[in-house]
Amino acid sequence: MNVPDPIIRLVDVYKAFGSLVVLDGVTMPIARGKTTTLLGASGSGKSVLLKHIVGLLEPDAGEVWVGDVDMAKANARQKLAVRKRFGMLFQHGALFDNLTAGDNVAFPLVYHSNKSAAERREVAMEKLRLVELEDFYDTPTSSLSGGQRKRVGLARAIVMEPEVVLFDEPNSGLDPVTSATIDELIRRMQQQLGITFIIITHDIVQAVAVSDWIGMLHKGKLLEYATTEGFVASRHRVVREFMDRYIDVPPLHDDELLDP
Amino acid sequence: MTAFLAKLGSFGLFVSSVARASVTNPPPVTRTIEEAYRIGVQSLPILLIVSVFVGTNLAVQGSNAFAQLGGQSMVGTFVALAGVREMAPIMVSSMVAAKAGTEMASQIAVMRIQEQIDALEVMAIDPYWFLVTPRMLGILLVLPALTMISVAAMLLSAWGVAVWQLGLNGSDFIAQCAQTTHGSDLFFGVIKAFVFAVIICLVSCFYGYTSPKGAKGVGEATNAAVVVSAVVCAVLNYLLSELLYG
Repeated sequence: MNVPDPIIRLVDVYKAFGSLVVLDGVTMPIARGKTTTLLGASGSGKSVLLKHIVGLLEPDAGEVWVGDVDMAKANARQKLAVRKRFGMLFQHGALFDNLTAGDNVAFPLVYHSNKSAAERREVAMEKLRLVELEDFYDTPTSSLSGGQRKRVGLARAIVMEPEVVLFDEPNSGLDPVTSATIDELIRRMQQQLGITFIIITHDIVQAVAVSDWIGMLHKGKLLEYATTEGFVASRHRVVREFMDRYIDVPPLHDDELLDP
Repeated sequence: MTAFLAKLGSFGLFVSSVARASVTNPPPVTRTIEEAYRIGVQSLPILLIVSVFVGTNLAVQGSNAFAQLGGQSMVGTFVALAGVREMAPIMVSSMVAAKAGTEMASQIAVMRIQEQIDALEVMAIDPYWFLVTPRMLGILLVLPALTMISVAAMLLSAWGVAVWQLGLNGSDFIAQCAQTTHGSDLFFGVIKAFVFAVIICLVSCFYGYTSPKGAKGVGEATNAAVVVSAVVCAVLNYLLSELLYG
């Protein structure tokens, strides 16, 4: 696959937990400054792949290049340096319960900047404004709805102005209206900030709505990886089955489909 | 046996990560003060109540035992020896393991299952440094002080029972305590408290950090934290007594 100017490259990555093979030789370059979505059913290995990119997991074999650092072989110091270039929105927000929404957003600044408390508040407020939650700075996270938690998580993910933002199932557990709001937010922020977004989801509607590139993981293998237009025209049987239920694509005859 | 060795190995890796984090950066000051305050304040009321009533019982049992030998004047000696050297350090460590250790384990376990620890790592914040080092320093600051407070409460309540209930001479009681207990006993108590503090913190944080997923996992981690801490402290108490007084 010809991905221009990749910022991240996974090369032949294998990962197994006991006898369960989760990633089975995945090779995937990820384009700089674009939104790339990795689709797959539950248990297909999407989250595991994402955790390899940030070095939370190490592959059994293969390489995970972030710039010129192979996260598979990087030491703790190198991993920390790479992680400073990342932001991540976790599936359930992963907000700290003992802090307010604003303090959660400002949290990375406490440890990675020399800003004063007032300056940190100002920066956090600016990010909360981007996700339209500027009135919730002093709200305890326990009082936030699921969608608001995701938006606070997103504000925290971008507060250090990272090069890459990772999204783990950004729409899971949200109603369709809130999901559409999150999609719009992702699209708008990518356009405004021009940073690399990597999304893992099983939501094909979201993938098509926000992505420049889409891949599909199936039984640990990258079955399809193409631009959004190319992906929608895929002839892989599994990809079609995944798409046909949710988005309006022209049907293909059985003899036109490719099996894994 | 294999599972036990695997757990031991995992604990060893955890301890080495905590040690590395401790020497890399000083613990976050504000969080250390918060932890010390919380551990101290949380544990103090229950500790005072138990210490007072252990002291009363030591006096009563000492009196019963020595009365048959005609040596009621030995009550002060008995209370000082048993209370200062043995009861206070192990009792305080058990109380703190039950109060603060379980809280450490459950808090960290919940952070683990809610991906907050992963979030710390992705934010390039060493979770061992952020979660364990302030708790370690906090408990190290507090546990020796709690042990000394427990000693004082125990001796005071034993003195009260000796004087008002058993009708013994208060000055004699104090003289026996002073004769039996030396500065080195208090110092050894502090050494025991330091050792127990390290064990309680490492064991509790380890079980929280490696908690299995789900509510059941948090329960198991919390339970294991207090059981293992208490057992290890009891065994070490014997070994330290042998080493220090043997």
